[in-house]
Amino acid sequence: MQFKHITCPQCGLLCDDLDVSVDDQDVTLDDNAHSVCQQFFVDAKFTDKSTLQPKINGKPCTLDEAVTYAAKLHATAQQSIISGLIADVQACRSAFALAEKTHSVIDHANGQSMRASTAIMQRYGEVRTTLAEARNRADCIVLFGAEILEKFPKLRERILQPAETLSGNTERKLIILDVVENADLAADKEIDFFHLALPNLETAIQQLQYLASPRASTKTEIDPSIRAIYQQISTSNYIVLTWTASLFAKNTAEQTLQNLTFFIKESMKTQRCVGLPLGGSRGEITANQVSTWQTGFPLPVAFTSGAPEHNPVIYNAETMLANSEVDLLTWVSTYSSDDTPKQYATANIVIGHPNMQFNQTVDVFIPVGIPGIDQRGLACRTDAVATLPLHSIRKNDLPSADHVLNLIYQAL
Amino acid sequence: MAIKLVGAQIYDPVHQIDGKKMDIGIDQEQICNADALAPDCESIDVSDCIIMAGAIDLHTHIGGGKVNIARTMMIEDHQAHLHHGDHQCRSGSGHAVPSTFTAGYRYAEMGYTAGFEPAVLPVNARHAHMEMADTPMIDKGGYVLLGNDDFLLQMMRDGASQSAINDYVAWVLNASQCIGIKVVNAGGVHAFKFNQRRLDVDEVSTASGVTPRQIVNVLSRAVYELGVTHPLHVHASNLGVPGNFETTIATMGAAEGVPIHLTHIQFHSYGTEGDMKFSSAACEIAEAINKNKNVTADVGQIMFGQTVTTSGDTMMQYYGHEHASPKKWTVMDIECEMGCGVVPFRYRDKSFVNALQWSIGLEIFLQVNDPWRVFLTTDHPNGAPFTSYPHLIKLLMNRSFRNDHLSNLHPEAQRMSNLSSMDREYSLYEIAIMTRAAPSKILGLADQGHLAAGATANITVYRKQDDIEKMFAHPAYVFKNGKMIVKDGKIIETVKGVTHVVKPDYDKSIEKSLRTYFDKFQTISLDNFKISNDEMEECIGSRVVEHPCKKT
Ligand SMILES: [Zn+2]
Repeated sequence: MQFKHITCPQCGLLCDDLDVSVDDQDVTLDDNAHSVCQQFFVDAKFTDKSTLQPKINGKPCTLDEAVTYAAKLHATAQQSIISGLIADVQACRSAFALAEKTHSVIDHANGQSMRASTAIMQRYGEVRTTLAEARNRADCIVLFGAEILEKFPKLRERILQPAETLSGNTERKLIILDVVENADLAADKEIDFFHLALPNLETAIQQLQYLASPRASTKTEIDPSIRAIYQQISTSNYIVLTWTASLFAKNTAEQTLQNLTFFIKESMKTQRCVGLPLGGSRGEITANQVSTWQTGFPLPVAFTSGAPEHNPVIYNAETMLANSEVDLLTWVSTYSSDDTPKQYATANIVIGHPNMQFNQTVDVFIPVGIPGIDQRGLACRTDAVATLPLHSIRKNDLPSADHVLNLIYQAL
Repeated sequence: MAIKLVGAQIYDPVHQIDGKKMDIGIDQEQICNADALAPDCESIDVSDCIIMAGAIDLHTHIGGGKVNIARTMMIEDHQAHLHHGDHQCRSGSGHAVPSTFTAGYRYAEMGYTAGFEPAVLPVNARHAHMEMADTPMIDKGGYVLLGNDDFLLQMMRDGASQSAINDYVAWVLNASQCIGIKVVNAGGVHAFKFNQRRLDVDEVSTASGVTPRQIVNVLSRAVYELGVTHPLHVHASNLGVPGNFETTIATMGAAEGVPIHLTHIQFHSYGTEGDMKFSSAACEIAEAINKNKNVTADVGQIMFGQTVTTSGDTMMQYYGHEHASPKKWTVMDIECEMGCGVVPFRYRDKSFVNALQWSIGLEIFLQVNDPWRVFLTTDHPNGAPFTSYPHLIKLLMNRSFRNDHLSNLHPEAQRMSNLSSMDREYSLYEIAIMTRAAPSKILGLADQGHLAAGATANITVYRKQDDIEKMFAHPAYVFKNGKMIVKDGKIIETVKGVTHVVKPDYDKSIEKSLRTYFDKFQTISLDNFKISNDEMEECIGSRVVEHPCKKT
């Protein structure tokens, strides 16, 4: 069977222009797509049919038995955490219902990397754009870090340098700056690549922000490339700044995002300048959106008191697991077989991708259908504006993560 | 199940019933003739009560990306308002922009059984519907935004025929599962992307080459010619700008006689008189509504206190961001369709401008003669959270209460307002029109907003009391589709609600040019952009109920 317009959740762009063919249980991406995009479909091929069955302590069992056992673990846990959340909207909804019923803490696997941008939105608010707006409107795009192109393989073709734009303007400036050399980009005639003689990207952003600030003086030492980029920005009409927070040092990420926000807001006084942060490659935008509308708070959220509580320091999943502050982990992870827990609790329930392999025995493993392959799903894109349908293109008996979470909920 | 509600005074303006004592029967999901019920069926003595149909909020921002941005930015408000869950209800947080479950519960507790989200971006429609699906207790529906989208503006610039525009409008309504079309600052949000900071109603946008008047004209005509019951829902140009009442009246004229709905008109009724160059033009606006029978409006009353303004109007939200309180703001350009802006705001009774805004809203309510053409809204959360409706009803029904409040406001605002001279007090019958009968009529929900046999059994029973605010805040019983969901102001059963939509017919060949547009410029494929009925039910989580269009 051939399918057109299939959505790929392998990165936060959620490209939906893929042609996929399905032969019984084998799924293949048709065109010579980027290897990162291939990954999602390659990973969906069942490596070992025996993994399609739920397991208790490594021993195959029925779904009923696994659910009953999982419910028992929940009933006896002192403090549980639900994490991963590498999943579609439906599974996230059910995960929140379960978290509330079991007074759990809930956080995304990538929770830590989302904190800085959440904090900036909470404290200042932002000026942003979306993928199609950037694609059609921008006359100048600045990328902070060449690695962005690798993390989002179709970004260049679909957004940065599309064949056609609404404005008809193909004279777009595409600036990529980095502190490491990149021979390919340096040789690329369609890109202005700046290899900065600066210690890191954060310094570049700090200098750029300084140039736009009212206190800027000509005496301060600024990298000449940054001055040139600033000059280019000042004379453009619709400037898009693109970054991905995961490339910034964690301990200063908040300061860096603040500098970017201040720069954009300062520029907005006289021209149009917008941010296009990229992320969401493990479904974190989806999980965060569901959290925000259902509880009123972004992740992480704790239901220990019966009402949602948001405290990113106390309820950070990774730290809680590392410090053994929880005795039960429910890990929901449906897109990639690699996304197993980094840290385990005393007891562990994994509702996961059917090809998952664990480096330690988990108490309960329930393999579930992959949204976008085995199940219909809904996912939020990196810009948190577009929500795309994930299609069901393969038939088998795998339950959805949503269904499994519901069964556990009902068994409690 | 059958229930008989015995002995209440009934307010059903659709059938001109004004406080008459009558029994109401409920059979399964519908209202039935009480006499036809078995004599031994369950009956509830409500002889100390009044009964109205379930209330319908015509304009309330309860779902979509901008609401989630507002929730994120309103962290202080959310942390100050935590709502515990129980065996019935899910937990939540927030007062100004509550979480979805909480919003559903608060609406039901006030006797509301439906609410309509007025700013659904086509590309964000799935998301908006998901949030609304997670808003329990009430029925929902959305107005989808057009008039700043590059596709329409391009069509207009190319001189597309009205019928081609109609096809496009119908296609968007079908694709986005909405019940109406809204335009926000026509052409202005688009122009803002080109750094244009203002756009008046007859000004040609340098970005699109068309005027706001032309956009309002073609869209109002499209909605009318497609037979969509709800008129074009218009957020006019120049929101919040002193002197904007002239723009507003010009916008009414842009419809050239076809039905047009002006939303949160309070924000568009400002003059420039007085030392502060800010004055009430409520009188001129009310007069224009009274005179032009094709015009309806909702007020967008403000109330004092903390809230957050969320709007598609990036141009005017950016203009207003300097008044943000707390100091934070977001604006976003969206997908060659629209934009959004979120600015927290605290209305202060000691502020001259805010006090006058409060007064202007009430002046409009009291000077529009026909309650079928003016709707009770606070533009939740922009003027105030929807939970302030009972207080607003009391302000309308009780002159001395109103004047007591007025006397505490900024003295200059009092001097500039003629509110204290207005004698009018709304009656229960008129409140029933504004909050039930008229919204159901203007949305085309034939089975709602009234109490005749065959109507959906959405019923609110209020226990009579002297304090009308308390009465409207805590109904004795609320029935949704025949189920008792609220008793003594508390939720006793949770239900889901449905999504009301219209699906006007259109010439399918419009999809050819749309497909080219999507393939060339958009970042979602046309096929994935469209939301099907079964996706609504199976994935998004809300069943679709389609209402007919009357093609003219
Ligand atoms: Zn509104």
